[in-house]
Amino acid sequence: MGLVRYTLWRLAQAIPVLIGIITITFFLANQIPGDPVEIMLGPSPAQEQVEAIRARYGLDRPAYERFLNYLAGVATGDLGQSIYYDRPVLEMILLRLPVTLYLTVSAFVFAIVTAIPLGVISAKRRNKPADHVSRIVSLVGVSTPSFWIGLMLIIIFAFYLGWFPARGLPLPWASPAEVRGAETQLQVLLTSLHHLAMPMVALGTLQMAQITRIERSSMVESLQGEYVTLARAYGVPESTIVRKHAFQVAQLPVITIVGLGLSTALGGAVLTETVFEIQGMGRLIITAINNQDYELIMGTTFMFGVAFVGGVIITDIAYAYIDPRVAYGDES
Amino acid sequence: MATKRDSPTDGSTDTEGTGAGEIEARVGLRYTLRQVKRDTTARIGIYTVGFVTLIAVLASIDNYVFDYAIAEAIWYSPVQDPEQVRRLLPPVGMENQYGQGTLEHPMGTDHRGRDIFGRLFYGTRVAITVGFMATAIGLVGGTLIGAVSGYYGGRIDDVLQRVTETIYAIPFLVLVIAFMTAFGRDLTFAMIGVGITSIPVFNRLIRSRVVSVREEDYIEAARAAGVKDRNIILRHVIPNSFAPVLVQATLQIGVSILIVAGLSFLGFGAQPPTPSWGQMLSASRNYMLPAPTFSLFPGMAILVTVIGFNILGDGLQDALDPRINN
Repeated sequence: MGLVRYTLWRLAQAIPVLIGIITITFFLANQIPGDPVEIMLGPSPAQEQVEAIRARYGLDRPAYERFLNYLAGVATGDLGQSIYYDRPVLEMILLRLPVTLYLTVSAFVFAIVTAIPLGVISAKRRNKPADHVSRIVSLVGVSTPSFWIGLMLIIIFAFYLGWFPARGLPLPWASPAEVRGAETQLQVLLTSLHHLAMPMVALGTLQMAQITRIERSSMVESLQGEYVTLARAYGVPESTIVRKHAFQVAQLPVITIVGLGLSTALGGAVLTETVFEIQGMGRLIITAINNQDYELIMGTTFMFGVAFVGGVIITDIAYAYIDPRVAYGDES
Repeated sequence: MATKRDSPTDGSTDTEGTGAGEIEARVGLRYTLRQVKRDTTARIGIYTVGFVTLIAVLASIDNYVFDYAIAEAIWYSPVQDPEQVRRLLPPVGMENQYGQGTLEHPMGTDHRGRDIFGRLFYGTRVAITVGFMATAIGLVGGTLIGAVSGYYGGRIDDVLQRVTETIYAIPFLVLVIAFMTAFGRDLTFAMIGVGITSIPVFNRLIRSRVVSVREEDYIEAARAAGVKDRNIILRHVIPNSFAPVLVQATLQIGVSILIVAGLSFLGFGAQPPTPSWGQMLSASRNYMLPAPTFSLFPGMAILVTVIGFNILGDGLQDALDPRINN
């Protein structure tokens, strides 16, 4: 019961933040120098034509009016019309968003699956060789630019060894007709995973390193807890202590860091998509900027914000689910 | 050596020193530095950061004062190969389809025949400047907002925190890209943009410290003595939050360098011909097959620099964390 109310409360809290995001993006898009109509129609268009276009996209009205219109539009699920492509912004985003989410979520899965064993081993063998190796790996991981990892992976695994494809990322649920070299849905899935491997590692390494660090320090702390000493005194086997008692408690800070890491990961997706030529949200925002496509820039920036806020809410709810104190404590 | 000399002095203060002097010594800047010097990892961090910063300073001097004269004397044209035939040469001792690597270009040349080593050298300037400046902007902005917000609480706190939360809610690379599209694509706006996105980090840190410091007796005493709010914040509250901010700032410099490298990679940031590491990596994308080392070295430069700041930050944290000291 507490959890449901907590979820609703958390969703309601997100509304002012979303309005804030729209305000920031609207303000920034309004500051962009240059005239989108000019870009659309070429250097010296006819005057009537310009005015017609301006009227059509509402560019002739004052800024506050456009802002209110935009807010109302977003509330009803209308992100406007892309000036450059002459298509609804939402439609373009919905085509690209699954790709970026697929990439980002996979990167986190990779990060969590590799980081948790690394962190736990590191904490268990504190200041021993295994710990040093894992600490160096995570130090290098947080210090390496993700796009450079991508370039190195392409050079080694795509160009020299030829194990993985260097560009593109088909979705696993795409129809077999759209994916080259695939005839059945299973082949589509395999092709997709094959394409996913390198971008996933490139994007996930930073998260992996950060989660390893938190997991280690959190496990070290939890292994020093009184209940662990008590369990040891009772003669509970060390492996059970680590797996059952210390581990669960230690996961709370890890969930927090996953939520916060989303911001870095979604930004990193822009770079990863550039390196691997993946047609996701990141490429969309760069194209939008290069075309001075106001509505599309606002829409993509807003959607990046929505993705982040959504991810944080999910991790918050997961946190409350694991630690019930959160849900009850915040209601008062 | 340092450890041997330091530990007896430290031991003697522990036994002989008065209680008040002890506490003073454990929070001061000098104590921190002594602690950092004793820590091997922190020392490695200091040396790395010092080395890279020195290179940045030297590169700036050579660029502005001598107009590449020093570099020209040491390397065969670091800026542009006049003959244009030495394009994409491999590093010394290696061979590719364009020829044999020579000592003239220890890391080979890029797609315009420019010496990669020389350009890495000058790229340091951009990376270090941006790292320090962006962090300074975030530090000043975040500290002020966090201190005011935490000290006054109430309505002011609510408004300021909502604003920084909103800034934080847009993935920061996307926010900086949007910011630079609106105001300008060059390095200045990259610094300001990255600085603004790091405001929430410092804000949160300072605010939580201020909220706890606010209740301390000496703040109460200062207020009772009629000290102005502004002076209480500037003279007492902020200095007392110095330690965690220093650690965060060091780590943030590394993060800023990574973000700006990413921005330059996307074409936002230092504009050619100013050499920057991210932009070198971006150019190298078209030549990954014939000249893979072109992509290798700029990334290594970023890695080494950022690792330096991270090691230093970790070392500072260990040195400043009372739980580890005791």
